[in-house]
Amino acid sequence: MSSSRLEILNDGGLRHDARRPYELRSTSFLLSTSSSSSTSSSSSTGLTPPDGSSTVTQGLTSVQVTVFGPREPRQRSLAAHDRATVAVEVGVVPWASSGSGAKRTRGDKRLQEIGAAIRQTFEPVIMTHLYPRSEIAINVQVLSADGGILPTSINATTLALIDAGISLLDYVTSISIGLHLLQPLLDLSQPEEMDLPTLVVASLPSSGKITLAQMETRLHVDRFEEMLTLGTDEEGRR
Amino acid sequence: MVREIEPPSVQKEFLLAALAESRRLDGRLPLEMRKVDYIFGEELGCVECRLGKTAVLAQVTATIAKPRDDRPYEGFLLINSEIGPMASSVYESGRASDDEVMITRLLEKSIRRTEAVDREALCIIAGEKVWHLRLTLHFLSDSGNLLDCAAMAGMAALRHFRKPEVEVIGDEVIIHSPDERAPVPLAIHHTPLCLTFAYYENLQPILDPIHLEATLCAGTLTLTLNAQREICVLSKAGGTPLAADEIMGVVRVGVERVREMVKHLEEELEKDKSTRVVEVR
Amino acid sequence: MFSVTSIPPSSTLSFADDIPSSHRKHPAELDAMDVDEVGFEDEYGGAGPSKRTIVTPGEIITSSKEYMRGHGTYVEDVNVVSSVTGTIDRVNKLISVKPLRSRYNPEVGDLVIGRINEVGPQRWRVDANGRQDAVLMLSSVNLPGGVQRRKIESDALKMREFLAEGDLLVAEVQSLLGDGVMSLHTRSLKYGKLRNGFLITVPPQLIRRLKSHFHHIPPPCGPTGVDIILGLNGFVWVSSGTSQERREGGEGFDAEGVYSDRNDDITPEGRQAISLIANLIKLLAREGVPLTETLIGEAYTWAAKNGLGIGTLNEEVEERLLSEVVGLDITKSS
Repeated sequence: MSSSRLEILNDGGLRHDARRPYELRSTSFLLSTSSSSSTSSSSSTGLTPPDGSSTVTQGLTSVQVTVFGPREPRQRSLAAHDRATVAVEVGVVPWASSGSGAKRTRGDKRLQEIGAAIRQTFEPVIMTHLYPRSEIAINVQVLSADGGILPTSINATTLALIDAGISLLDYVTSISIGLHLLQPLLDLSQPEEMDLPTLVVASLPSSGKITLAQMETRLHVDRFEEMLTLGTDEEGRR
Repeated sequence: MVREIEPPSVQKEFLLAALAESRRLDGRLPLEMRKVDYIFGEELGCVECRLGKTAVLAQVTATIAKPRDDRPYEGFLLINSEIGPMASSVYESGRASDDEVMITRLLEKSIRRTEAVDREALCIIAGEKVWHLRLTLHFLSDSGNLLDCAAMAGMAALRHFRKPEVEVIGDEVIIHSPDERAPVPLAIHHTPLCLTFAYYENLQPILDPIHLEATLCAGTLTLTLNAQREICVLSKAGGTPLAADEIMGVVRVGVERVREMVKHLEEELEKDKSTRVVEVR
Repeated sequence: MFSVTSIPPSSTLSFADDIPSSHRKHPAELDAMDVDEVGFEDEYGGAGPSKRTIVTPGEIITSSKEYMRGHGTYVEDVNVVSSVTGTIDRVNKLISVKPLRSRYNPEVGDLVIGRINEVGPQRWRVDANGRQDAVLMLSSVNLPGGVQRRKIESDALKMREFLAEGDLLVAEVQSLLGDGVMSLHTRSLKYGKLRNGFLITVPPQLIRRLKSHFHHIPPPCGPTGVDIILGLNGFVWVSSGTSQERREGGEGFDAEGVYSDRNDDITPEGRQAISLIANLIKLLAREGVPLTETLIGEAYTWAAKNGLGIGTLNEEVEERLLSEVVGLDITKSS
């Protein structure tokens, strides 16, 4: 990666936003955040409110997720006779990121990849066999992006599914981990994500098993092991 | 996307029962790859890679372009990988399925983002002229594990390719035809190769799943490694949850495999080189 | 550094501590609950989380093998683990978890309100807030005029004249098909197409299974009173009142008009009464108060006494109403 003016870790062991290496950003979890979700008068318009919704904010990254379903599949041909199908749609609002990060919204491929990752993460966790011939639609909307879109989206999706009363085997929690020289850092912000090898891990806290692991950028095998263990440990603490 | 017909349950049970005894339908060991064959084309930079019955043809071409203003010293590497109906009837041209997006993204991450090709070495005149490489992958036949095959074909093609030599005199650029001067290989930092593992509930993972195995598995994990024991990409998007040491287990296996694969690729490249007569004038 | 916040609706929706127990549970149910409540806590195998009444996915409810798993739970090794967020419900040895919010979970005999989604061969597909569209067979409806006979081909051709896409109807769950699809029937004069009112959707958890779901608030409330149908699927129909006889097919029952698409003339006073009742129901539902006939009746009496009539309720009135009728304190300072 290109050299940057940003000092990842200063002499005092603090990161560019004055966090310690293992410190997370300030986080908030909100349930039932869709304005129409709690109760509503669905008038003759036929608009139905989502069955579950949540907004998760981690630092300056904020993601809202709404869940519809289990409901009759919009395309009946997609229905599976013995389980529910999971459909994920990811969107990023145009003003989500500023400056150099604006490139992220370009190219549908990246969002499609995030969507596929979320779908594949939750398919084995949702007890889909309980809802045959139906569809669970997950809509992810990134409201502001400052690194860690995928982990934040996964956390928000877990909460929205719980809010919708859909049966899950367990929570799914996720976090991003970076490595600066030999020092692992947790919950990366956008500038850190650009400069460091990043690993995103999602796991089930009660068993500590990993459902999703994604890494780009070169990294030595031995360092990887260290990061992976750290990530799983940290998630358990959520 | 056209929905595939699910394999019959008899076949599924048979496959799982066989796997429980560490046997696979094609007689391989769980962590054995299918036979890899490289077929080098007439032209430099054209390689077909066969992994069992999966086949991918990779072709590298080079043109000269103007670099981006913010990166005046860098050339371009474009990876073109659209899966058409030729590979298998489930792929439609024009509309990308989830699988296809996954393959494209992972190839992009494996080859481009890991800086396998030194892009600064593609510079001819800073801010004016750089080489624009285009790696086109044609997916000829899909019998499982397209991604690994494509990564091998892509890397083989990049290492096989020779760009014409250029000479810069003042502002003038002279491109020598291959007959005049021997073309030069690309500056390659390392050779990342993909390995895909498939997981099943309560069974050991298998390497290089064929199509049927991939359809029936509970999750896959793709690793991109190089011979220097570095993980370039790791992608496990969902699927059955795994413990951390299970992941580390396959990473260790992967490290060994990739070293063998890179060695094999280098031998093949060497063999091909010896058949080509290079005239130096 | 972590702040787990939730906005008011969800906080009052479930956490029954705020709501007097009389509103929370039907009296009969309360009695039944008391039977072997004693010693339940001690019986749980696992300590810790099981003591809590609210569990979340992945939480172990008990590790004792004695219990059977019900809805909302699954078994891992020897543990019964919750798969939803909700309250633990135990009937003898059967443990289930009731989600705080979820889609409607149908049971045979439930009264539901639905909207026609599609007219198909010999059947209608009805959106009844379930996991899949419900099915209403042509053979399970009454013919206009109450004629009793087998349905013939000409009836099948006239299906759209009975019920077309978008029509609302009240029906009963006749049976559940193999994959959980509800099959409905309207073979009673009480059931059928709805008109003269409007629909409110509330979370289905707020509606209890009662003897009757047809309620009538008598005249001072509008010239003819107001009818309320509480569908168990969370759909509530509030309409202009009709007399008992006319509803049940007695004197003045318009047998031919069962499938009529035209609303009767409703006086402005009648309309006001309907909207007032609807606003009260919306308010109660917003605060997560289970809806019963008595509660709605009390709320109306209170509203009438305090001279509420037209328009939406303001915040101050809402607070007073809730504290005086329901005993619920929603003052924003909390």
